[in-house]
Amino acid sequence: MTAPLPAETILSVRDLKTWFVSKRATTKAVDGVTFDLKRGKTLAVVGESGSGKSVTSLSIMGLLAKPGRIAGGEILFRDRNEQVHDLAQFEPKQFRAIRGREIAMIFQEPMTSLNPLYTVGDQIGEMISLHTELGRGEARARALEMLKHVEIPDAARRLDDYPHQMSGGMRQRVMIAMALSCNPSLLIADEPTTALDVTIQAQILDLLQRLQAQFGMSILFITHNLGVVAEVAHDVVVMYGGRVVEQAPVNSLFAHQKHPYTKGLLACTPDATRDLGTDGARRALYSIPGSVPPITNLPPGCAFEPRCSMAIEACRIAFPPLIPAGPETFSRCIRTHEL
Amino acid sequence: MTQPSDDTPLLSVRGLTKHFTGRGGQIVHAVEDVSFDIRRGTTVGLVGESGSGKTTAGRSILRLVEPSSGQAIFDGTDIFALKPGEMQHWRKRLQIVFQDPYSSLNPRLRIEAIIGEALDARGYPRGARRRERIAELLTLVGLSPDYSRRFPHEFSGGQRQRIGIARALAVEPDFIVADEPVSALDVSVQAQVLNLLGELQQNLGLTMLFIAHDLSVVEYLCDEVVVMYLGRVMERGPSRQVYAQPRHPYTRALLATAPVPDPTRKRTHVPLQGDIPSPINPPSGCVFRTRCPMAIEACAQVIPPVEHLGGNHHVACIRHGEL
Repeated sequence: MTAPLPAETILSVRDLKTWFVSKRATTKAVDGVTFDLKRGKTLAVVGESGSGKSVTSLSIMGLLAKPGRIAGGEILFRDRNEQVHDLAQFEPKQFRAIRGREIAMIFQEPMTSLNPLYTVGDQIGEMISLHTELGRGEARARALEMLKHVEIPDAARRLDDYPHQMSGGMRQRVMIAMALSCNPSLLIADEPTTALDVTIQAQILDLLQRLQAQFGMSILFITHNLGVVAEVAHDVVVMYGGRVVEQAPVNSLFAHQKHPYTKGLLACTPDATRDLGTDGARRALYSIPGSVPPITNLPPGCAFEPRCSMAIEACRIAFPPLIPAGPETFSRCIRTHEL
Repeated sequence: MTQPSDDTPLLSVRGLTKHFTGRGGQIVHAVEDVSFDIRRGTTVGLVGESGSGKTTAGRSILRLVEPSSGQAIFDGTDIFALKPGEMQHWRKRLQIVFQDPYSSLNPRLRIEAIIGEALDARGYPRGARRRERIAELLTLVGLSPDYSRRFPHEFSGGQRQRIGIARALAVEPDFIVADEPVSALDVSVQAQVLNLLGELQQNLGLTMLFIAHDLSVVEYLCDEVVVMYLGRVMERGPSRQVYAQPRHPYTRALLATAPVPDPTRKRTHVPLQGDIPSPINPPSGCVFRTRCPMAIEACAQVIPPVEHLGGNHHVACIRHGEL
């Protein structure tokens, strides 16, 4: 039976398994993922391509495409009335009461998430009328208020713009306005700044943090960028091959990595103070050999073992458990105590 | 061995300008009056956000896009003045590595044919010597020669980028434009390709123009850096100098807003407001002034002249003295 959800926890994913089953093969895109998101905090889920980070977020939202399905585990979510639901057991119809109103999502490419045929005001308004009792005029007024919250200049005029008339950064602001228009308690942000330039990325990250302080929503932030993680996250989950390999509060993760993969990821990002001598001479960058394994063909033991400089025979044989490696810190590495 | 890089540039770009004609006859000012030098055996980074014109500038130099005006003096010859037939001959010396290793390799050709096409262009004879050369090139980029009979889909992104590099090196160029060669790769694979480029550059004495939006990658790999914004050069100079003491407000903002993987170093600067303006109707005077925290009235009046600050450090800002 389910262990109760601690009061400060808004989302608890427990041993989640999301599989894509076809006649030929079963692809375990997410295979036993566990993490908690605390109320009002930001949890970053970091990983490279094929790590399962996006499938995890789609599982929570009930947006899995066929043949994907949740094959096991729980997704416990606490709604605004303190009711706890297991989203893993939800029927598509039940999600309608939750999606938008309780949990909202923003994506990497805002253009594909907005309808090119409707003005942004109409689209935010539609979202509001769908989830609230507000009439047309009130919904439009609320849409305008939201555009102001996301700091779109000249909001009253931009309400009647079509998505193509806006820049990428402005479109992402519209997506955020739409996502927050019904005051959800959880925002899932899936690589929301990856398609944006750095100066625009900084604007959006600042905005999300200001809005979090103002509205108090919890954020599940999916990204591959460790710089962005350092900027926005309170807690971090690192994924590799569909599993969590390390989990820690943000400061301790960056100060002291407890999994060789996390350590490698940080070491291979160029850093002038570390990788250039005082005379400017270049040292070879630390690099992780090989490439990210296809999720369909993971080794039986530790998924990172073939690329790991610390791998020993035992790593090849048995699948490593997630073991405590410090305060609120876990690592899926049998040699974590040596790190 | 590092070759002592002599001071005559291998490539001098002067006044490079590229205008596209958009729908309705509007002029798109993609690249405007860009000048810089690349000394033999060095790497210059061309940095900017989307719409800065960095890719168009890089491709214009190879005449993959025909420049509207300007000069590119390569080893004494202005390659912009060459007739198409003459350019063919020079192409062997100037090569490109593309950003997307998925779309830049023909999926229907085996690796030996992909590299072989480049050898054909050089007039390389067929036969055993050719197979040896392909094996040599694969080894050079860190791949097994046994891979030559495989197809691109059998490789990971990082391996495909290595194949793209092998193809560029097949004709023994002295100059390579690397257009965002690692930005489509997973982080854990980027370092491998950066190390390979660094090694090749040193061992083969290559001269390289490295186009990127990632500032830390450019700082690591490039001897000099050219910072572009809306088609124009804002600042250029030795990387160490530019990164340690940026003298243009745009460079400063770029450096200050790039996220750093260290949660204890919180960003202190307020990010730039607004978006990059349209290149169809760029702002008068300094193109950066609409987003510049230091802009004054005079910035709208004149295009800021490029000033030399010494040590090859150049900046185009009338208020650079106050930075």
